[in-house]
Amino acid sequence: MPAANVAAQVRTSLASLKASDLQDAQIMEVLKLAHQLTDTMKLFFSSLDQSICQEFNYIADYISRTRDEIAALRPNDIKTSRIPSAGQELEAVVGDTERATETIMSEAEAVLCDDEADYDAYRANVEARMMTIIEACSFQDLAGQRVSKVVTSLRHVENRVSRFAEVMGVRDADQVVEETAEDKRNREQLLNGPAIGGPETSQDDIDAMFADAAPASDLDQGSIDSLFD
Amino acid sequence: MAVDMTMPILVVDDYKTMIRIIRNLLKQIGFENVDEAADGQEAYAKMQENKYGLVISDWNMEPMTGYELLQKVRADESMKATPFIMVTAESKTENVVAAKRAGVNNYIVKPFNAGTLKSKMSAVLGDF
Repeated sequence: MPAANVAAQVRTSLASLKASDLQDAQIMEVLKLAHQLTDTMKLFFSSLDQSICQEFNYIADYISRTRDEIAALRPNDIKTSRIPSAGQELEAVVGDTERATETIMSEAEAVLCDDEADYDAYRANVEARMMTIIEACSFQDLAGQRVSKVVTSLRHVENRVSRFAEVMGVRDADQVVEETAEDKRNREQLLNGPAIGGPETSQDDIDAMFADAAPASDLDQGSIDSLFD
Repeated sequence: MAVDMTMPILVVDDYKTMIRIIRNLLKQIGFENVDEAADGQEAYAKMQENKYGLVISDWNMEPMTGYELLQKVRADESMKATPFIMVTAESKTENVVAAKRAGVNNYIVKPFNAGTLKSKMSAVLGDF
């Protein structure tokens, strides 16, 4: 019997007991009423225990499922292996590109400064330096492979987290996230960083913005007047 | 008036390679008197001690951005007339508009080449 119905029955029994004329009451009637009340209370407590038990079972199942999902998320693997490994790969990419750039720049600068007086020596020197530049460009292959590994790791983490969120029914909190000092600086200083896929505003559009505005600020009253002649 | 090819130019960027690239491009164009700074703070300190014919600055630097440097330069009587070109990967229209309002003379979006640098320098300094 649902708890609400049992409670209603208890209320009815109590009302009936109160309404009885206990001054003149027959002992059997009192006992009947007490028995009726006890039966009802027994039903009430048993239904109450059952619903609490069901709640606890549900909570226990939920905790167990959450624990399983967290285990499937493998947070320790992400924390101790995937993320540090991705960080190391990216650091290696930065190091590789720095070394390659240094080599390419140095060789190019050396070519620009080479003495052209002895043509054969100059040509041999330029060819040797060009070969060094070509060799240095091999960093791109390594960098590509390293970045691919990082992308794979990030996709792995993304898949696990999104699966966890889906299974557990996690939704983003509604509350406004407090702006950090770094966020504030980025906002105030308009630090957006490079756009994906090339500049958001092309050099031609920027040039047009400067070209359009320049005459307006440079016009003197005489020039403005001449526009109305 | 002819452009003084010996004038000192201050290049401001926190990326050493970019400074080196701009130095090389300026050299190819004919400007060899180039000084450098790694951020706005260092650049501003250098500008208080030296007079530069042109500042070429990146935007995104720590601790002082190129945008802050531009604002400080334009607010300082002793250096407010110094030509200032922003060379940056910040390519949102809001960035260009903000820099223009702050008094930048021209704006180059990265990546760029020697031709773009030369044409913007000509637009600011005059033909050379």
